[in-house]
Amino acid sequence: MKGARLGYRLVQVGFVAVLLLVWYWVGRDELVSPILLPPLPACWDEFLALLASGSYWPDLDVTLYELVVAFLIAASFGCAIGYVVSRSRFSIRVFDPLFAGLYSIPAILLFPLYVLFFGLGAGSKIAIGATIAFFPVVLNTIAGFDYVDRAYVTAARSMGASELQMFWSVMMPAAFPIVLAGLRVGFILAFLSILGSETIASLAGLGHRIVSYAESMDPAKMFAYIFFAILIAFLLNGGVSLIEARVKRGPG
Amino acid sequence: MKLGPGTARVGVIILLLILWELGARLFGDPLFMSPPSDVVVSLVGLIGNGPVMRALQTTLYELVTAFLMAIVVGVPLGLVLGLQRFARGSFYPIVVMLYAIPQATILPLMILAFGIGPESKIAFGFTHSVFPIVIAVVAGVQDVKPTLLTCARSMGASRFQTFMNVILPHMIPSLFTGMRVAMTGDLLGVLLAELYVSQAGVGHYTRLFTESFQPAKLFALVAALAAIAVVLNELCRRAERRMSRWRA
Amino acid sequence: MSRGDAAISVAGVSQAFGPEGDPRRVVALESASLEVARGELMCLIGPSGCGKSTLLNVIGGLMTPTSGEVAIDGERMHGPLPKKVAFVFQESALFPWRTVLDNVKLGMAFQGVARAEREPRAMEALGAVGLADFAHHYPAQLSGGMKQRAQLARALGLKTDILLMDEPFAALDEQTRMVLGEDLSVLLARTGKTIVFVTHSLGEAVFLADRVAVFTARPGRIKTMITVEEGHPRSRSFMTSDKLARLRNELYELLHDEIRKTMGDTRP
Repeated sequence: MKGARLGYRLVQVGFVAVLLLVWYWVGRDELVSPILLPPLPACWDEFLALLASGSYWPDLDVTLYELVVAFLIAASFGCAIGYVVSRSRFSIRVFDPLFAGLYSIPAILLFPLYVLFFGLGAGSKIAIGATIAFFPVVLNTIAGFDYVDRAYVTAARSMGASELQMFWSVMMPAAFPIVLAGLRVGFILAFLSILGSETIASLAGLGHRIVSYAESMDPAKMFAYIFFAILIAFLLNGGVSLIEARVKRGPG
Repeated sequence: MKLGPGTARVGVIILLLILWELGARLFGDPLFMSPPSDVVVSLVGLIGNGPVMRALQTTLYELVTAFLMAIVVGVPLGLVLGLQRFARGSFYPIVVMLYAIPQATILPLMILAFGIGPESKIAFGFTHSVFPIVIAVVAGVQDVKPTLLTCARSMGASRFQTFMNVILPHMIPSLFTGMRVAMTGDLLGVLLAELYVSQAGVGHYTRLFTESFQPAKLFALVAALAAIAVVLNELCRRAERRMSRWRA
Repeated sequence: MSRGDAAISVAGVSQAFGPEGDPRRVVALESASLEVARGELMCLIGPSGCGKSTLLNVIGGLMTPTSGEVAIDGERMHGPLPKKVAFVFQESALFPWRTVLDNVKLGMAFQGVARAEREPRAMEALGAVGLADFAHHYPAQLSGGMKQRAQLARALGLKTDILLMDEPFAALDEQTRMVLGEDLSVLLARTGKTIVFVTHSLGEAVFLADRVAVFTARPGRIKTMITVEEGHPRSRSFMTSDKLARLRNELYELLHDEIRKTMGDTRP
């Protein structure tokens, strides 16, 4: 079906080309307000200038810092609490539905509370990122350790394994892929929610930068930062997938 | 005495509420923190508060409108992509790629385009919920067992009859799963937009209560929104379960 | 048997998958020819991949052969003939979102039966297979044997002269298979339908068929025809008779080498 595959590619490329052409044409003839849709060449130039100048660093720094801290908090609390809960059937039955139920509330609602409590600085972003990332991690950790086959545990115990040996050699490897998936989802969600909350209320960070250019009516620079943020999202996504694949393959 | 998990869960929640109450009363700065008892009082107060109730109504209106639009656009689009092989091969990857864009980055752009009223919230809710529906419909159409299609053909079904009697019913459970996911996205999109900028919607009041340091009212408003979210999510989940009975 | 008596006439049908010259091209069927008389039950049997299901699909008009032609009642096949040919598939092709009764009625709707007629005909068909009490059940609530009986009812409701059955009992346990085989024989005697039945089971083929077409390994050719002289409806005693055992052994001798060939076993 090679012919079909080529056909799809052509249509996709053509589609994108048409969009870009329309953008260019609209910009050239000022068919749409340039505040809303600045000319394509202007946006592209600003984007290249941004990449070249490295002036994105301060904001990228802030966003990445918030992301890493939020993720570490969510990961450690999520794994720890998830593991503890998974130790008994009863606690799973008590807490798992609780966490699952809380997960269904859009956590972004907590952000105004965090802003009230932590202010406009990094603290509120870290808080919301950690809160949102916590849930997939804890739910997956519970599921992962719950999943460990009773048979393996019994077999290991009958061979005289200590609690520590049991944990490292039997339970961890079995639970690992599921926990890893939870960490991956948590990381991505943390990034998205931090980006979102920077947009809503912040003094720094990529999200904030986009807002500031929108408010200062500098749309070309805004688009440049939008492209940049999408690029970062892409790289983070790719990086996470790569790490997950590598880790899975490794000492598995 | 045997303690059931449900009872234990309620116990945990009550315990947390008590800790919250004590912590807030003993250590909490009333500018930033509010005990649950005060929150409940505020909640009652909010119900009588005209403008706030209207704001909640507006939010509900935004949520429902965006969701319905997502269905109206998403289902036909999904059907076309699901049924037409060339369209699917060409455009489905584009759909998936668009879905992967972090939409928070285009929130300011949306506001510039649609203004600060409900339209931008509806638009943002729409862009968050249309993709899960398209993806679910495509999956539901593609998933049909070839035997069922062959069987219909052997019995003399026309293309239209096959579509109405085989493909469409088969797609329904998938659609409702997509709707459940879409509702989560809808909530996220509308709330994000509201919190970003809002003239008379709930976002306006969250900002107001935050800036005037009225945590009880803020907590209460957030709780009310959370309740709306939980109800909407639960409705979607129940609908999904009801429509997926033959699948299981 | 003159051509005029043949309900189904297959002449030199070949079926290949993949373009010519492609090394991955698969020739499923090679120049198969046979005739099925009206009211006859013919079994197609052979090793996996010998093209028997392919031939069934060609006969039913679901597939156009690469070469050769099929005629039903003297008329050449171009596509599905829902008014003359009904299928029963191995996999349950019942629509899971509809009740058994609605499934039978839907088949008739596709075929073009008038709305008013559908319900009585459906109930009649369900009665014929003994599922009248389960009309309002959903397929998920039925056992494997009942699902296949429901499929059969749907096919019967179409009141076609010809029934094409593709290993319909393959997914069932042996005991259920035997009982359903008896039922099919009774049905054949009562309705006089022409049936082509694909199977892997030697015993089933001999028990059911008036004639058995034995296929070679891929590319499938019809190796030989075995005739089973026994009237329908066939009774339980036929199942345990010497006659059946003898014919079964004969079939096994014919098939043994073909099966080994299919397994890639080239030992003599």
